[in-house]
Amino acid sequence: MTRVRLENITKVYGSVVAVDRVTLEIESGELFTLLGPSGCGKTTTLRIIAGFEVPEEGKIYFDDEDVTFLKPYKRNTAMVFQNYALWPHMTVFDNIAYGLRIRKLPPEEIRRRVKWALELVKLEGLENRYPLQLSGGQQQRVALARALVVEPRVLLLDEPLSNLDAKLRIEMREEIKKLQRKLGITTVYVTHDQLEAMSISDRIAVMNKGKVLQYGPPRQVYFRPTNLFVADFLGRSNILYGKAGKQHDGYIDVYLPDLDATLTGVPVKEITSRDVAVVIRPEIARLVEKHEAVENKLVGRIDLAMFLGDKVELRVGIGKSSLIIYMSNLYEPTLGSEITFYLPKDSLIVLPAEKPLNKE
Amino acid sequence: MQERLFGVKDTFIAGAIVAFFYLLFTQELGYLTGYAEILWWLVAILWAAVLFKKGFDYYRIMNSFGLSFLVIIGFIFVFFDLALKFEGIPRAIALFLIPLMTVAVLGYIHDKITTARELRRRRKIKVPVNKRVKTTLYKLDPIMIVFIVVGFSILITFLLVPVFMMLFNSFVVPPGEPFYYNFVYIFNNPPYVKHMLLPGEASWYAVIPSGNTSIIIFKGINYGIVVNSLINSTIVTTVATFLGILVAFVLARYDFPGKTFFRVLAMVPLFITPFVNAYVVRILFGPQGPISMLTQALFGYQIEIKDLAGIAMAQIMAFYPIVYLNAFSSFISIDPSMEEQAENLGSKGAKLFFTVTLPLALPGIIAGSILVFIFSLEDLGAPIVFQYPWVMSYQIYSSFTSETGIVSPQIAALGFIMLFIAVLAFLAVRSFVSMRSYAMISRGGRWKPRVRKLGWKGLLFVYLVMLPLIIFTAMPQIGVILLAFNIIPPYGFKIQLDKATAKYFIGIFTNPTYFQYIRNTLTYAAMAVVLATIISIIIAYSVSRTKIRVITPIMDTLATIPLAIPGLVIALGYFYFFSTFFRGTPLDPTSVTTFQAWIVLVIAYTIRKLPFVVRSVYAGFQQVHEALEEASLNLGASRTKTIFRIVLPMITTYIISGIIVGFIYITTEVSTSITIGGLNPAQAPMTFIMKNIYYGGTVYGVQYVASMGVLLILFQLIAVLIITVVLKQRYAFIGV
Repeated sequence: MTRVRLENITKVYGSVVAVDRVTLEIESGELFTLLGPSGCGKTTTLRIIAGFEVPEEGKIYFDDEDVTFLKPYKRNTAMVFQNYALWPHMTVFDNIAYGLRIRKLPPEEIRRRVKWALELVKLEGLENRYPLQLSGGQQQRVALARALVVEPRVLLLDEPLSNLDAKLRIEMREEIKKLQRKLGITTVYVTHDQLEAMSISDRIAVMNKGKVLQYGPPRQVYFRPTNLFVADFLGRSNILYGKAGKQHDGYIDVYLPDLDATLTGVPVKEITSRDVAVVIRPEIARLVEKHEAVENKLVGRIDLAMFLGDKVELRVGIGKSSLIIYMSNLYEPTLGSEITFYLPKDSLIVLPAEKPLNKE
Repeated sequence: MQERLFGVKDTFIAGAIVAFFYLLFTQELGYLTGYAEILWWLVAILWAAVLFKKGFDYYRIMNSFGLSFLVIIGFIFVFFDLALKFEGIPRAIALFLIPLMTVAVLGYIHDKITTARELRRRRKIKVPVNKRVKTTLYKLDPIMIVFIVVGFSILITFLLVPVFMMLFNSFVVPPGEPFYYNFVYIFNNPPYVKHMLLPGEASWYAVIPSGNTSIIIFKGINYGIVVNSLINSTIVTTVATFLGILVAFVLARYDFPGKTFFRVLAMVPLFITPFVNAYVVRILFGPQGPISMLTQALFGYQIEIKDLAGIAMAQIMAFYPIVYLNAFSSFISIDPSMEEQAENLGSKGAKLFFTVTLPLALPGIIAGSILVFIFSLEDLGAPIVFQYPWVMSYQIYSSFTSETGIVSPQIAALGFIMLFIAVLAFLAVRSFVSMRSYAMISRGGRWKPRVRKLGWKGLLFVYLVMLPLIIFTAMPQIGVILLAFNIIPPYGFKIQLDKATAKYFIGIFTNPTYFQYIRNTLTYAAMAVVLATIISIIIAYSVSRTKIRVITPIMDTLATIPLAIPGLVIALGYFYFFSTFFRGTPLDPTSVTTFQAWIVLVIAYTIRKLPFVVRSVYAGFQQVHEALEEASLNLGASRTKTIFRIVLPMITTYIISGIIVGFIYITTEVSTSITIGGLNPAQAPMTFIMKNIYYGGTVYGVQYVASMGVLLILFQLIAVLIITVVLKQRYAFIGV
């Protein structure tokens, strides 16, 4: 069990700062996800942990050991590559046994542990196949087995599911989660898929432009984004700009000129300026009778309605602007008709209205 | 983007005006000599500078294939125009090009400066040098450092130093003369550069009565050694390019009965049979040759092609397939949707070809053409067989055969000029090609290339023009076989099937006088190819896996540049290198009796043919995704273990095809074989004896060396079969 600590890591490629002063602490045994759009520095961060890259600034610790300048082959991390990186000239058995042979284990021990790893990923009986004879999902399992068999201090997964089709992806997602639970291995997982990240992780770090914007358990990051980029990237959000009003009992009033309405929400961060933004998740909207007195009641006109199967997506015109909201799939909207709904104030997030990217 | 005021047209107008007044002043009025002419050049340059300053669309030149190529050619032309002191029309052409070249250069510099400035502006983050070094070093495992150091040491010791030794010697001058004396001497001396032709020399053909008929002799004009070489290589390159494109286009785009036969036949000239093929060309176009018989019967006179014309003919026939192959793969790797889109917009026929197809294929074609130029420049086979000494290659070669054991500084200067032309052309074309390598992006057709049926006019063209042409260019190789089996006599021409015999072919193995050369060649080739493969792995790995600024690109260039360095330059360089640093040892070429030529030959072969092996191995490394290596490092294998257990096993096919290609090119090597090898004939390789037979001019032994040619053809045939059938790879012939 290893705790991984990144301290103020900076990596520069030419004139691009790939990773910008990243500090993270990954607890031993947890599944930690680096989430962000492509080019945000998440893979570079992973490669720094693996030792394929060395940062210009900062330090990496495995427990209390400084591994910043330790060569990749001395770190005992195990990585699952995006394209699996299985050696095509070796059988499944040889691929998995490779790390054990490098460690000069006795042959019986190697055979025993490869068998264990194959059982773990449910690939018994495929030892003598070559990687190109396997399906994508099977290749993925071999890559996983190859990584797990050496009992690494840290397991590193670089977008492991991105080359699988949608169904298989969900299946593998569950399996990785189960395996990681079972073995209790410290895992760093890189993905750009927010659903994957939220479903699998103990904690998520959202990255953009080389910086970690926020990290915490999935629920916390989803419900209480501290940053407009995070709010926008995770799930869907209507982001509206307005002027802060008075604060009371942990809530804050915000006047939104576009809707010509004042809404009450939770300030996730300390509000210091009058310029604020309100984050409205589409799923928080609740239908309400027109005359009922509730907080954050809005009346609008249905401009567009889309049936999505598990829900109905509505574009509701209010004032000069419009909001996207979800309704239950039983709701049958009439285009152009009026709709009244309210937004529970505990679910409404108020953030400083800085441009999302200039966090510091 | 600001509005551009002037275009390419304006530079041409400026050039035309300058050139016109130059001609007017010099030819008609007799002004404008000496310093006045320099002023006139300045006018041309300044005019262009003003155009540029006022706002000139130089991107037009950079982006246009034809214009940028014109500029590159322009530089070479102007250089020789000045060096050789042309007058009249050639100089007017130079002046005409000057404005265009000036704006191109200004635009290029301007562009470089702005991008550099832009880069500096963008690079806000300053990473201290020591940190940069530290991160770079971290990524280099010990074995990679060893690779880089070893690779560089070899390339510097056996490539750069010898070449610089030759350069240095070209500046060795008689006491009291300026350092550039040798070049002045060359450019002002009639054997090298003739500014005036004697009345009898000014015609490129002659008609000589002979008995009751007459012989038309095509021979070319002798303008002096340097100019001859340049003109010859230019003509050979131009014709070969034209032919190559024509044949490639028809074979790539049209379907007709017998196409496979055409394709196979078109590959025949690619079989290298040094000297023998030129000898067959000489027979073919001799006064008693088959062509003469034909013309005698048809028109009542004979023809003979000799001297420069003969050299050009032999070289065109030998080298045009290089262009053909490059053009063919360029044509089939053009995405058909490119042409379909153009057709969709209403383009067809010649318009389609010249606006879409040719521009897309040109980078590949030019890459082949430049090699033809270099090969033609350094070719020794044709000049020796036609016994025409007034070209640069022959001059350099003959300096080795002089008994003194000393190569004169003027020869070094000649080597310098040859190297300069070749490397300049090579580098210019390489950067030019890499700038627009769109057609090269996907070599080999992933898609089904566009193939159409030919109409009756097309079919007539194919069978009446192309078929004879292709058969004709395959004649030398066919002739070599006929000679070897004595089906045609060594001199004159007649088919004598009754005298066919395999005794000469068997003889080269049983007769020790011939077999020793074969044994030598095979031994040296085996040794050199092993060395070349090891060095190639070292270099190709370093180039493909380390990304160190400056160092990696230099290594890359050094490993490919031997392609552009004429073999004779290597030979000269090695001569100076070994006679200077190994004086008195068995490696000293001047110690006539004790010189161990084989060691020098093996090294020379290794370095000269390195690019072919490097290219194949490098392609292999590029096939291996870096993640495959990282996965191994990640599992605890050191870099060395990773290379030997993961990477090399994965690229064995590439290494094998590199070995095969390297072997073929080494066994057919001429330049160093007959120069360095000639310094100790007992240790000389096959090509040396092949040369000797033709150089001596005797009939004796012709069949034996033709048999050696057949042996070489067999080697190459086997190589092609192994690579294409067993290894399922493309027989990577030749390209930049």
